[in-house]
Amino acid sequence: MAELRADFHRDLEEIRSLVARLGAFVTELIPRVTGVLLDQDIEGAEYVLLGDAEVDARALDIEERSLRLLALQSPVAGDLREVASALKISADMERSADLCCNVCKAARRIYGHELDPKLRGIIQKLSDQATKEYREALDAYVNGDAVKAAALPDIDGYLDDVHRQFLQQILESHASGTIDLQVAVQLALVARFYERLGDHAVNLGNKVRYIATGWMPEQEALTRLRERDEQSDRDSGE
Amino acid sequence: MIETPVTLVAVIVAALAGVSLGLLIPRRSSRPTENISSVEAPPVVPQAEVLDVLSSAVIICGPTGDTVARNSIATELRRSHSGLLIDDAIERHVRRALHGGDVPETIDFYGPPKQTVVVEAHRLASGGAVAIVEDVTTRRRLDAMRTDFVANISHELKTPVGAIAVLADALVGEDDVETVQRLMQRMVREAERASRTIDDLLELSEIEQQDIADLMNISVNELLHGVIERFAQAAEQREVSLSIDSPPPLCVTGDPRQLSSALGNLVDNAIKYSESGGEVCLTARREAGSIEIEVRDSGVGIPAKDLERIFERFYRVDRARSRETGGTGLGLAIVRHVVANHGGEVSVTSVEGEGSRFTLTLPAANKPEHSESNQCDTIEESQP
Repeated sequence: MAELRADFHRDLEEIRSLVARLGAFVTELIPRVTGVLLDQDIEGAEYVLLGDAEVDARALDIEERSLRLLALQSPVAGDLREVASALKISADMERSADLCCNVCKAARRIYGHELDPKLRGIIQKLSDQATKEYREALDAYVNGDAVKAAALPDIDGYLDDVHRQFLQQILESHASGTIDLQVAVQLALVARFYERLGDHAVNLGNKVRYIATGWMPEQEALTRLRERDEQSDRDSGE
Repeated sequence: MIETPVTLVAVIVAALAGVSLGLLIPRRSSRPTENISSVEAPPVVPQAEVLDVLSSAVIICGPTGDTVARNSIATELRRSHSGLLIDDAIERHVRRALHGGDVPETIDFYGPPKQTVVVEAHRLASGGAVAIVEDVTTRRRLDAMRTDFVANISHELKTPVGAIAVLADALVGEDDVETVQRLMQRMVREAERASRTIDDLLELSEIEQQDIADLMNISVNELLHGVIERFAQAAEQREVSLSIDSPPPLCVTGDPRQLSSALGNLVDNAIKYSESGGEVCLTARREAGSIEIEVRDSGVGIPAKDLERIFERFYRVDRARSRETGGTGLGLAIVRHVVANHGGEVSVTSVEGEGSRFTLTLPAANKPEHSESNQCDTIEESQP
């Protein structure tokens, strides 16, 4: 029996390690695709797009291992939360890698169009902030640090601000004629990709909190909904 | 510092063999054997201690690929997100080594900070494997600097000389006065460009070799005002405002000519790379025994990928633009060497489209700074 649990804990640890490595892969991908976009590196874009299959394979491997563990070992409490979270986190990370691929595709679509320094500067800021958030979320996951994870929504607020600033700058650059409409549309999409990367980092942080404490952000919304329903019942009773 | 992985493997094997041999050698020695108990025990060198002195990460694995030991650098690696990916690569290489052969792999990490490592694994006679991770970031950067320097200096000197040759050739047999004048003007411009490059190269070479023999206490305020005066006209021409954010009375010890040249280069760049209506501001402050002098502009800024290379000789962020502005590509190299000569350092932060901020950190002068006019020596007229 003791041997069985040892196997279980070894498998669980392996899943944790695979999730952490997938997260490190995505963290590394963000500055890389930014380089592709700013340097108009078509070859680099192709390389990243080809490499997406590896991310998919890693995410699938985590999913299969997690399902196998759920089916064969019936984990409970914190272990159950850990395995259930690995399923969701791997999906989030796989989607994040897809967003990075989308940045590369946008880079190919605007190839040959020069971006003015203001736009380039804000793209770099978006990338730095998204990378920072992913790195913090990954650190929180590796160290099981729920406190650090709880700070992520506030950190993400800055990325949202830079996102808005970028959209404003796109409009100004388009109005002044430094970029054409096609480039403006692609850049607006790119801004959205970075903003979504930040959201995925926040999701990872939420899962770290869930693993450590069982807390889920949806619970707060659920509580508010129940309170509203109860209030509505009381009002109709009166 | 041990450089190549092959040498590393040799060192590891030699270290392990040394420990074993250490056990054998005293028995074969000519020491008296009648008092065996008095024979000193051979020193036993712990394997971990040997591995910890190596400059590369070393991971020893058993026959199944499980990690048996890691040296301190390998343990340190695990604390970064790139370390997680390096662990992934180590497992892959150990698997390959255990099942036949492995070839070294170079992995680039985009950071920040950027990092390049070479990972390889070797099968051990005992059945296990040893993986070695060598950080080659600095070596790569130095290689790139060396290669680029040779290419760039050739380009910088050959381009104007080639242009002069072509223009001179066109002049031969040309009778039209207007054309001759135009060609001559271009020849003068190209000759001036080559001359500027050579002047800067000589200045850089002089600064590189020079020891600061006559250290003087210099008033920072006077230093900044001297630089402002020199560039006031250039700033006015480009409609860039040039100002000093009045620093408190501060003194640095150094060579006024070199410091003036370094600050001049920074201000010159700041003006050249600012749009009309831009601002260049100089400030100075005391920070824990050092004096920080800052040159801040609201210009085009520097891309993040170029920031770590801009102090290299002839490194260009935008070749076309630097040709327009007439730079030689040596200004920031001069700044770096001047600051190093003074025992300080230079740093830069920049955001494209927002501007750049160069900070010179210099040791503060020993003299008290109650009143700078009588505490610091006055700067002589500096050469631009």
